Amino acid sequence: MSSERELEISPIVQESLMQNSRTLSNLQSLTASLFGVSAGILGLESYSGFLFYIVFSLLTAVLFYVLRVAPTSIASGKAPLDTSRYFRGPYEFWAGGVMNGFAGFVLTWTLFYGLVRA
Amino acid sequence: MAQVPVQTIHRDPQLFYWILFPITIVMILTGVLRHYATVLMASAPKKLDQKTMREQRGLLHGINVRGNYHALSKASFIARRDALITAFESGAYLKDPDNRGQPPPNPMSDPNAMEGMMGMMKNQMAMIIPNTLIMSWINAFFSGYVIMKLPFPLTIKFKSMLQAGVATKDMDPRWMSSISWYFLCIFGLQSVFNFILGSDNAANQMAQQMTQMGPQAGQMFGPGVDPNKQFLAEAENLAVIEHHSVLDGVEQRLLEGIKV
Repeated sequence: MSSERELEISPIVQESLMQNSRTLSNLQSLTASLFGVSAGILGLESYSGFLFYIVFSLLTAVLFYVLRVAPTSIASGKAPLDTSRYFRGPYEFWAGGVMNGFAGFVLTWTLFYGLVRA
Repeated sequence: MAQVPVQTIHRDPQLFYWILFPITIVMILTGVLRHYATVLMASAPKKLDQKTMREQRGLLHGINVRGNYHALSKASFIARRDALITAFESGAYLKDPDNRGQPPPNPMSDPNAMEGMMGMMKNQMAMIIPNTLIMSWINAFFSGYVIMKLPFPLTIKFKSMLQAGVATKDMDPRWMSSISWYFLCIFGLQSVFNFILGSDNAANQMAQQMTQMGPQAGQMFGPGVDPNKQFLAEAENLAVIEHHSVLDGVEQRLLEGIKV
């Protein structure tokens, strides 16, 4: 009941939330393709390539948080690493990038690996 | 354990220019074409006559009052609730009040519903035709070439999929033929379309299928739904609301907020 009341007092606008998610997923697919390009040029294979991808997409999420979310989010009294001011859930923000961009990453990785190495 | 020697296959670099790039470019251009075909074929929303519009807006009014009742004061909420419940139960907003209680007409015989299905068919065709064409084009021109090596190992199960048309038993499944590059393009080009066409494009059939599986917003006024029953259910929903206002106890909250 208390959380319901809080939502009524300070409502969440669905359109803004969707706009934020769309911006985030655009960024994620762009960076995933670029990571694929760099992994292919570096000639990474199998595990090291996937590890590269996971590490760098998490790094993107952290940078996004630090540069765009944190300044206003912490100022408004949220705990650090809490993205609930702008995004639906922590899962979508931190792990969504790994899921979203994966196909794009594999595509560009294969392409540039083939072009550079083979 | 002996190290398995890495297979190397010497390929003509011209394979890239004559197979890889054509397939990629064709896939991208097809996506762009499909996007614009969908945009052009999208039929403008049909103009509703006044009665239908009134029916739909009446129902939406009820739903909105139910969802946002906390923003109203008690007196105005009760006034709205009573007016809406009376109107809903007497069927004042119905399109044709004479049809109350009769079973809804068969959706297949309704011309409006047929039009909606035609639209869906058109979208399906816009997906299926280019895919079939491109697949047969690739099969006809480029089958039997090994063009690339995947940067990650796969199990032997993938061999029949990736190396269709290359009947070599001992080849590592990492080598892929042109048809598998086509599959990779299907799955991975969404991000490319995002940059070319904006993020709500219709270029990729995978993304479209995802959205089709999602909840459909247009179902509420679809054919075969009895509006009278919807009105009665909505009246019941309104009647059971226990009203509280968002301004209840606001003085208390304000005083807590400005504590010195």
